[in-house]
Amino acid sequence: MTLFSLARKNIQRNLSNYFLYIASMVFSIVIYFTFVTLKYNDDLSALKQSSQQIKGLMSASSVVLLFFIVIFMAYSNSFFMKKRKKEVALYSLLGVRKQKIGLMLFFENLVIGLVSLVLGIVLGFFMSQGLLMILVKLMGYEVVGSLTFSVEALMNTTGIFTLLFLFTSLQGYRVIYQFKLIDLFHAEKQGEQIPRASLVAALLGTALIAFGYYTAASDMFTSKIWRFFTVLGTPLMVIGVTIAGTYLLFHSVSVFVLTALKRATSWSWKGLNLIGVSQLLYRIRANAKSLSIIAILSATTITAGGGVFGMYYNAEATVRQMLPNTFMWKGDPVEISQNDVLYNESLAVKNLRVDNDLSFFEYTLLKESDYNRLAKFQGKNQELHIADGSTVLLDAAYDERFSHDFTGEDFKLQNGDSFHVDKMYTESVLNFIAAGTVLVVNDQEFAATHAEEVKMQVVGLDNDLKQQAVSQDISKQLSTEQQESFSSVPQSYEDSLATVGALLFVGSFLGLVFLAATGSIIYFKILTEAEEDQAKYAILNKIGVNSKQILKTVAGQVAVIFSAPLIVGIVHSAFALLAFSQLFGMNITKPVILWMVAYSAIYFIYYIFTVRAFYKIVRQGN
Amino acid sequence: MTPLLKVQNVGKTYGKGANTFTALSNISFEVEKGEFVGVMGPSGAGKSTLLNVLATIDTPTTGEIIIGDTNLARMKDAELADFRRDNLGFIFQDYNLLDSLTVRENIVLPLAIAKMPTKAINARVDRIASLFGIRDLLDKYPYQISGGQKQRTASSRALVTEPKLIFADEPTGALDSKSATDLLESLSDLNQSQAATIMMVTHDAFAASFCQRILFIQDGQLSKEIHRGTLTRKQFFQEILQVLSSIGGGVNDVI
Repeated sequence: MTLFSLARKNIQRNLSNYFLYIASMVFSIVIYFTFVTLKYNDDLSALKQSSQQIKGLMSASSVVLLFFIVIFMAYSNSFFMKKRKKEVALYSLLGVRKQKIGLMLFFENLVIGLVSLVLGIVLGFFMSQGLLMILVKLMGYEVVGSLTFSVEALMNTTGIFTLLFLFTSLQGYRVIYQFKLIDLFHAEKQGEQIPRASLVAALLGTALIAFGYYTAASDMFTSKIWRFFTVLGTPLMVIGVTIAGTYLLFHSVSVFVLTALKRATSWSWKGLNLIGVSQLLYRIRANAKSLSIIAILSATTITAGGGVFGMYYNAEATVRQMLPNTFMWKGDPVEISQNDVLYNESLAVKNLRVDNDLSFFEYTLLKESDYNRLAKFQGKNQELHIADGSTVLLDAAYDERFSHDFTGEDFKLQNGDSFHVDKMYTESVLNFIAAGTVLVVNDQEFAATHAEEVKMQVVGLDNDLKQQAVSQDISKQLSTEQQESFSSVPQSYEDSLATVGALLFVGSFLGLVFLAATGSIIYFKILTEAEEDQAKYAILNKIGVNSKQILKTVAGQVAVIFSAPLIVGIVHSAFALLAFSQLFGMNITKPVILWMVAYSAIYFIYYIFTVRAFYKIVRQGN
Repeated sequence: MTPLLKVQNVGKTYGKGANTFTALSNISFEVEKGEFVGVMGPSGAGKSTLLNVLATIDTPTTGEIIIGDTNLARMKDAELADFRRDNLGFIFQDYNLLDSLTVRENIVLPLAIAKMPTKAINARVDRIASLFGIRDLLDKYPYQISGGQKQRTASSRALVTEPKLIFADEPTGALDSKSATDLLESLSDLNQSQAATIMMVTHDAFAASFCQRILFIQDGQLSKEIHRGTLTRKQFFQEILQVLSSIGGGVNDVI
């Protein structure tokens, strides 16, 4: 019998043991292949046209994805090797040379690699086609994706995974050569010393996280930390600090908390609390690494997803904020089909120029009566009655960090006149494109002000996001000069969807992948532990603990393992998203909370499955 | 006076149809309060099955087991667990200590499960630990102590709840002779000074000689019963050896 056939038979007979390992390999390959296929897709690149940023985004994402896949594969490989150390020890005990065992495992890995590569690429092909259609839809295009097999993607995937398989094989070799026979037999018993908490590490961990949070939450335009590390360096610094802090948190702070709980005998010596705490403490050091990885992955997923979902959610609001009228342009009216028209007005406004030392600004002067009329059309319950010599400023692009707040000041005009600014609104009644910042004055003042008179057309349509056809119709009738001042809600909305939709797709895709993987990592981990703990629960049953109590303590322990990284991840991402929303000046609380709830809900399903499986394993021991 | 443990026609069969295997059949006996009873027999005779059935870890196929005034046959799984918690103590051959708990916590566990207040727990743990001579070990973990110390810890855990009935399954099986003697003497003391009722399964004649009465089991049936009476331990040991050789098997197990 050759080594190769021994390896092959090994796999055939232990298929169920190998199943999880192969499944996670196939999963990684499917994900990666799908992603690179989308990256190389011709339909998509045609769609993207000018959009260099989507291409950049895809490339950056594939790096993140690759990094993640390396972690995931290394994790499942070491999980798998740990389970097989005994088998390796047995071969060694029977007198097979280490070299031969290594070779056998290498062949085995090769067979597994080939099988999963083929399976992964076939599955990945179908998945990429399905996802492509979703992507196109999210971006708001109506193109049918054709079935194309990307050779580039195939080469890319095969190359990367061949390297990865070599790497995992080496990992296996290392295990065989590094350990002594006696260690191999006790592989499952390692890492079971009860940890002692290190105060320095615990304080350092807390301090690092606090520093990371403080930096993320501070205003990036005024903060000294941001200035010191620069806008590019600071996020990297924050991420590094937070990752290190998270590890120390799970490594030391958790030990402190659990030890304190255990020492509080009035609590811990009640029912099975003692068992729960001790079990957690017993495994915490071995778990620190995986819990930190899970927390970081969750934080990444929630941040990316929350940010992108927030932008998608805000796409319409941003368009409406800037463009309160469906269409607006300077000059004469044009023919518009009468369907859905809510209002179609011709406004006389004046164009004000204000020079300062370096440049000039243009403002639009609007009559109070026109404002009130438009406000009514747009459903704003607001009527202005402005005193002589005063004005109300409308600035849709106002940002407290960059813009000057004129409230209470005198607004000086070129010709020496000035208005007292009573109020400032960030909601305008004129589209920002063409009109810019608007000054509203009463009708007498308007007539008295000397400035260039301009005609503006404002149109409001019902169901405005879908009025692409009307938008094109108007655009065609306008002169080239007029087209520059033409603003259209449906057109702007479509443009922003094309960008944000792609972002949303990439974000949710990576999010789902990370979620599936983090869930699986915890699931594998807890079930391995459950197998090791079977005997313990059998003892408990013998000394008189009923099944209900066992279920309770199992559910409690699993809940801690699940919720600790989730909570840390959510808090991390809350701070990251705070910085994000500051940067883009958006209010994304609602979509972010929605996203967090969705994430936690899926996570909770994993929890239920894990508790059930854990309990089942534990019951088998009785 | 009613007996503490009353076993009536207990039988246990495994499997179904033609493939049945009878592990116990028609076993009846009684144990009074304060007795130290041994169960002996060759390997595969059904000693451990009997103990498991009596200890409510396994259920009998036929017959009745009455402990105190409770009939175990009519109880459900959850009730049985509670019954074990409140009335029974166990000592196993392989100690069955939880290695994530300290010696103290291992002993505390059954009391914690019974929701006893912390103060009372401390008092009891101190007393039982001095009785078994493990007071200095209370804050060590099981992997830091020897086999004999582990078994004394396990015995402390079994006895700390002051159970009505203590079951010991080959408690000296994994111990050297010195540790075994220490443990058996502790159990014997406990039996005499506190009138604890103990039922011990063993195949070791030396261990059995500490008992007051011995039940012999053969092929799943009760075959013989001997009392120590006024005999010294050494004389009783000789008598046990004779019985063992007469029923065959087991002799080769003797030290």
